[in-house]
Amino acid sequence: MTDPVSQGPEEIPPALVEERSGWSVVWLIPIVAVVVGGWLAYRAIMEKGPEITIVFESAAGLEAGKTKVKYKDVEVGEVTDVRFNEDLSKVLVTAELQPSMRDHLREGTRFWVVTARLAAGQVSGLSTLLSGAYIAMDPTGTGRPQRSFVGLNKPPVITGRTPGTRYRLEAESLGSIEAGSPVYYRKIRVGQVESYELREDGSGIVFGIFIRAPYDRLVHENTRFWNASGIEVSLNAEGFRLRTESLVSMLIGGIAFDTPENLERSGPAKPGTLFRLYSSREETTRPEYQRKERYLIYFTDSVRGLKVGAPVLIRGIEVGKVVDVKFEFDVDTLDFRVPVLIEIEPDRVQLTGSGDKGPGRAFDEELVAGGLRAQLSTGNLLTGQLLIELEMHPEVPPGKLRVEHGYKVIPSIPGEIDRFKQGLLGVLQKIQRLPLDQIAENLNATLAGTNRIANSPELLQALEHLNATLAETQTVANDLSTKTLPRLEAVLQEAHRTLNDLGGLVRSDSPLYQELMVMVKELSASARSIRMMSSYLEQHPEALLKGKRP
Amino acid sequence: MTGTHSALRLGLAGCHSCQLLLRVPARVRSSTLRCPRCGAVVHPRKPRSLSRTWALLLAAYVFYVPAMVLPITRITTLGRLQEDTIMSGVVYFFQSGEWPIGLVIFVASVFVPVLKLLILSLLAVSVQWRSQWRPRDRTRLYRITEMVGHWSMVDVYVVTLLVALVKAGALASIEVGPAAFYFASVVVLTILAANAFDPRLIWDALEEAA
Repeated sequence: MTDPVSQGPEEIPPALVEERSGWSVVWLIPIVAVVVGGWLAYRAIMEKGPEITIVFESAAGLEAGKTKVKYKDVEVGEVTDVRFNEDLSKVLVTAELQPSMRDHLREGTRFWVVTARLAAGQVSGLSTLLSGAYIAMDPTGTGRPQRSFVGLNKPPVITGRTPGTRYRLEAESLGSIEAGSPVYYRKIRVGQVESYELREDGSGIVFGIFIRAPYDRLVHENTRFWNASGIEVSLNAEGFRLRTESLVSMLIGGIAFDTPENLERSGPAKPGTLFRLYSSREETTRPEYQRKERYLIYFTDSVRGLKVGAPVLIRGIEVGKVVDVKFEFDVDTLDFRVPVLIEIEPDRVQLTGSGDKGPGRAFDEELVAGGLRAQLSTGNLLTGQLLIELEMHPEVPPGKLRVEHGYKVIPSIPGEIDRFKQGLLGVLQKIQRLPLDQIAENLNATLAGTNRIANSPELLQALEHLNATLAETQTVANDLSTKTLPRLEAVLQEAHRTLNDLGGLVRSDSPLYQELMVMVKELSASARSIRMMSSYLEQHPEALLKGKRP
Repeated sequence: MTGTHSALRLGLAGCHSCQLLLRVPARVRSSTLRCPRCGAVVHPRKPRSLSRTWALLLAAYVFYVPAMVLPITRITTLGRLQEDTIMSGVVYFFQSGEWPIGLVIFVASVFVPVLKLLILSLLAVSVQWRSQWRPRDRTRLYRITEMVGHWSMVDVYVVTLLVALVKAGALASIEVGPAAFYFASVVVLTILAANAFDPRLIWDALEEAA
């Protein structure tokens, strides 16, 4: 084997050698790669927005990597993780937001899941039917920066930074109000119910309401809120009434407010002030009285038509209301009684008089002793509603204020209707007691006797005699007219003359009359002095002996 | 070891253009050799093979990170945007039971590029350290790398086809994500790196030792 190299080194020409400078351009590639990669990494780090955790009750429709976080329908982030908390009771949703949202993640920022829903008469979130649920964000927060939030179960009614004020209302029950129900002021929609929750002790409901900005200054400290839901139909002792705020509130409930004219205007209410939610407009116009006194009334007549809340009147002015109506059976006397508990608001009555008969007087005792009695009376003839009237009845025997079941008992007298009924009954009984049969028999007998007399021959004879007598009388009368009368006339004329003379004597300007008048005055003066003397003597009989003392 | 000398060891090299056998100096670090006959550049080994391989490998490694992390497709279905990375697509296919497709995508997009990168790194490191460990197997590895490189663009093809096919306006559309560019870069860079690597360097170490 021949070695080609050793065979002909001359035949192999050497390669030309050129000097080469620097380093390879290929190193630009990794440099560019590093620069691009570094820029990507930098952008990723810079773009990596704040990561937040939201606690939801359920994660309906939330998917990691797909569900977006939106504010005003603009995407501001994305859900990166959905998992449970330790006891599996809540869902922890981790979301990454855009860096621009960093400053808006503060205490008070709210998050809720937007899905299609029908609430408060509004359809919302229809777009989510196609695109899937998303988490809405409401950066209202101005508090401390925060990264972990509790998601709302329902979309908030007022979003964004709507200017306005929040207040609270307390009510006994929810009624037909729900979150989103409108709040009206003189039938203008000025706000909405944001939330409601049961009090911790379950004693009532506390609503959160929001009044938009120009209107919130209408809320004063003494503003009254009332439930304007649906159609308000009231049928009570005062009659029949129908009222509604608006068609919307008829369907989804609503709240209205106003500041009563009869109350003094007070300053604007502070945000978060707790108001009472009255059940109707009517109730708000009723002045509030703090002092309430309870009395018990026992009725023996029917209380059909007497309802709790029925008014208690004194001379037609409402001073209280019925609080409770019960029914009692006394096993000892086998008697039914109806105790009615009433509540009197004494402050409804303005006190007059000097009141110097001593403080702390028990007016009720004095009044009952003076004849104050309670009676049922018909408030509405149409519906038969009853009310209680307290009136003074001086004719009844004086009563005393007892205390039973811890309440003072106002005695009662039968009501008007009852008394009317009893009176009617008495008349009927008297009519019933009349011996009608006997009267009829007697009458019959009398009539028979009369008949017999009328047909008797004695009567005929008597009539004939009467005829004869009349004829006699006729002749006598004739004599009288022809002979006696002219003489009588002369006598009368004589008498007339005499009387005329007498009249002249007793005329007011006649001297005799004047004298008579003087004499009469004298007589009356002397009579007065005799009376005075006699009365003086009555008091001081000793004057007869000792004379009148100066 | 007579008869196993490389051309370079004997101070010889062939011109790539005119195939003229040339005598070359032993150390040609900072100079360019030219063929006296045709004037073409002559290099007994690929010039700066190792450093070029390293540079391209490094660039490929750097680009591999965004290729995996960034979304490769943006699918908009009914206004709902969904971004998928390569791995999330693979996971999706495996989870939805389409594991053959998932496997293909995984092999083409993850397994092969990573394998190529690792093999090239191994080769480069072994050459750098003048290792004499299994030169034959290492050469075989290099061949595998070159061969497999043809298939590593499957992903990019799939995405390109999908983008072209699914254009249903508002209903559904697919867009190429930024990862596609980086992934393609990784593939191209690994091909270039494999190309830049001179397998003869594996054997040079053995000769030097001998």
